Amino acid sequence: MRPDLVWAQMGYARFVAAKSVSYFLALLATVSILYVGTYPSIQKIIQASATSAAGEFERQLISSHRGLDAAQITAAVDAFKLSYLSSFGFDQPLPIKFVLQMYNLFQFHLGTAFFIQAPNGSKQVLDLIAAALPNTILLFTTATLLIIFSGVVLGLLAARRVGGKLDRLIPSIAIVHASLPTFWVGFILIAYFAYTLNVLPTGGITSVPPPTGLLPRFTDLLAHLALPLLSILIVSIGGFAYVIRSLVVSTMGEDFVLTAKARGIPERRILFRHVLRTVSPSIVTQSILLVTGSIGGGLTTEVVFRWPGLGLLTAGAIGENDLPVIIGSTFVLTLVLFLGLYLGELAYGFLDPRVRTGSD
Amino acid sequence: MWRTIASEFARSKSAVAGLALIVVIFAVSAFAVFSLPGSTASQWANPGTWTSYPKAAPPTWVNALGVDAPQTVGLTLNNWTSSSFDAPKTYVYAASTTLDWGHTVTPSGFLFIPQFVGSAYEVSLTWTKPDGQEVQMVVASPTSGTNYDLTSLQIKQYILQFVQSQTGSFLSSVTPQQELSGLFRTDGSQILASPVLKGSYKLDVQVTSSAPLTPSPRATLTLVGDSYGTMGTDNFGRPIELGMLAGLPSALELGMLTSVVSVVVGVLFGGFSGFLGGRKDAVMQWLFLVVLAVPALPFLIALSYSVPLNLLTEATFIAALSWPFYAIIARSASLSIRSQAYVEADLAMGVSSLRTFSSHFIPRLTPFAVAYTALGVPGGIILGQILSFLGVQPPNIITWGQLLNDASTYQAELYGWWWWVLFPGVMIVVASIPFVLVGFSIDRIVSPKVSAK
Repeated sequence: MRPDLVWAQMGYARFVAAKSVSYFLALLATVSILYVGTYPSIQKIIQASATSAAGEFERQLISSHRGLDAAQITAAVDAFKLSYLSSFGFDQPLPIKFVLQMYNLFQFHLGTAFFIQAPNGSKQVLDLIAAALPNTILLFTTATLLIIFSGVVLGLLAARRVGGKLDRLIPSIAIVHASLPTFWVGFILIAYFAYTLNVLPTGGITSVPPPTGLLPRFTDLLAHLALPLLSILIVSIGGFAYVIRSLVVSTMGEDFVLTAKARGIPERRILFRHVLRTVSPSIVTQSILLVTGSIGGGLTTEVVFRWPGLGLLTAGAIGENDLPVIIGSTFVLTLVLFLGLYLGELAYGFLDPRVRTGSD
Repeated sequence: MWRTIASEFARSKSAVAGLALIVVIFAVSAFAVFSLPGSTASQWANPGTWTSYPKAAPPTWVNALGVDAPQTVGLTLNNWTSSSFDAPKTYVYAASTTLDWGHTVTPSGFLFIPQFVGSAYEVSLTWTKPDGQEVQMVVASPTSGTNYDLTSLQIKQYILQFVQSQTGSFLSSVTPQQELSGLFRTDGSQILASPVLKGSYKLDVQVTSSAPLTPSPRATLTLVGDSYGTMGTDNFGRPIELGMLAGLPSALELGMLTSVVSVVVGVLFGGFSGFLGGRKDAVMQWLFLVVLAVPALPFLIALSYSVPLNLLTEATFIAALSWPFYAIIARSASLSIRSQAYVEADLAMGVSSLRTFSSHFIPRLTPFAVAYTALGVPGGIILGQILSFLGVQPPNIITWGQLLNDASTYQAELYGWWWWVLFPGVMIVVASIPFVLVGFSIDRIVSPKVSAK
């Protein structure tokens, strides 16, 4: 292999290693912020989970060891509860308690929900989240990819004719979009498409009962996905296209573009190869901001459309003051967000030639 | 620099329009603060306040669109005459009022409130319909100030008897809607479904007492309509327009506070990070990442269980999570300022870095900060309303998000109560757009100036 290519790969490998360390440390710091902000709630949750685990233990004792008398059972249950609490550092000074509880958090010991049950009847927060998370990822990832793709296309087209129709239209769309709440757009869409036109379902993720067969199921899912997706798109596309347009316009003035034009390279080719390649790291950065900024709107969209994801789960938990579910989903969402940001950063490094070749 | 920005700003139509709109919404907000009593929020939460208001009624202007939706009519009986009889000694006070009803639908409620000092045997009401039919209702031992409506047993039993006498069939109970049919529809066996009688209705009231009543009694009759105000009501009867007005000051306060704090913090941090460069820049960027990765919405919800929310804490929390957005933008602006010759000259001459930062960076970052403060207000408003929509908000305030939450709970979109869904959302947009207009305009003026070589 050519030596410069070896160096290039070394550069990227070093980049990945450095970013992995930095993101891991950042994850610890972020989760610590979550921990500090919710410290009283976390203690409450652990105590409630200890009580519910002890109750479970007591029922097992009574059914499997019929010889024990009441005092022995009480003593055993108390000992069980104490050991449960001490595994969360309840008898330890604050720093050790922090370390133990963080350790448990990263082991996904998220406790037992107060009221809410998973579809399989479990009240473990982890099971609840495991049932909801894929639906959130399906909706949110699809929406994000669509926004990035259409935003980039619109932004490029607008930048190609500065001052043209599309170029003047996009800022106005962006202005309206920046002031629209996603969930309200969802309401309006439901009222129009579901109740007035009767063409799309009002909410949920499948029809009741779900259709049989692979293809009907898939189209059923698409039909349920359409309106929530549309409401996220309506709110985010304008702003994203506007940002891309600004990036592209500022790059179009660079020397290498002028040179390329002078060499007679077709405009379409300049735009889609040279310019797009140059701005692609910035597009990644903007996409990262887009994801972190629109996650709240995405979660409330779930509520309006009864889409069974983390947002709907959290909203239900607020209604019932089900703290373990609220904290657990916040934690898991942070992890997912981190994974997204980390992948975005790796993509950035891959697209940015300065990073890829190891020069700074 | 400021002068050129100002003159370009004045030439931009959307910027001036945005600024004018901001003035207007601030004036409306000030009006709300000074005109609404402090008890508005607690009244809002108490359904008893809204009994005489139509429930889930559209705005009155739907009448102009061809919908027959009567407005609420309040009648006061004030032509009282008194007479007295012996053996046993009784005093009778009488008054009457008339009403012209030209609608094709009945009202949505009938509410009678007698008021007197002392005690009365009974209040008797005689409702005379345009065709001469009379409905007699007698309220024995009435209480002054009580709402006697179609759910009051004493009123209900007489209307039930009247409806039975018309239909000629036995009814075990009547709904308020059927009672209104009895009072307003054409008499006969089809009274529950016949057309509404148009014309002059009359109500005679007699208050009978064993002792003279001084001052003479008073009474009001409210025929609750089916439309209200410019924005209608929700299904507790609360006027949407009141909710819209009462929600404005807190929405603006939250949006502005959030935006100012997060932009100032973000621009200073980000600007300084880009200015420092190198390893320190990397550390500060790492810090942005740490905060950026906190999912704001669920974290704010979780936080609301540890810290009691008021507008100030809510704004602080939102700001504490949103400043990295501005830091990232300010950092890149700062990087382009740093590459300019005058900065390199300063650094080469050994001017202290704090002084370089405040003399070259702060003045160039400030227009940015102004643009992003304006652009940040809608973000704060919308996040606040989202939290309210999810049921997380300071107690004792009225928010548009809360109204939308109620609309969702009572399935307004299913029943077609569009005004309940439409206006709160429109208010969020109306409160946000002026700030976006101004922020966009400033950003468009400022961006090329800072990044220009």
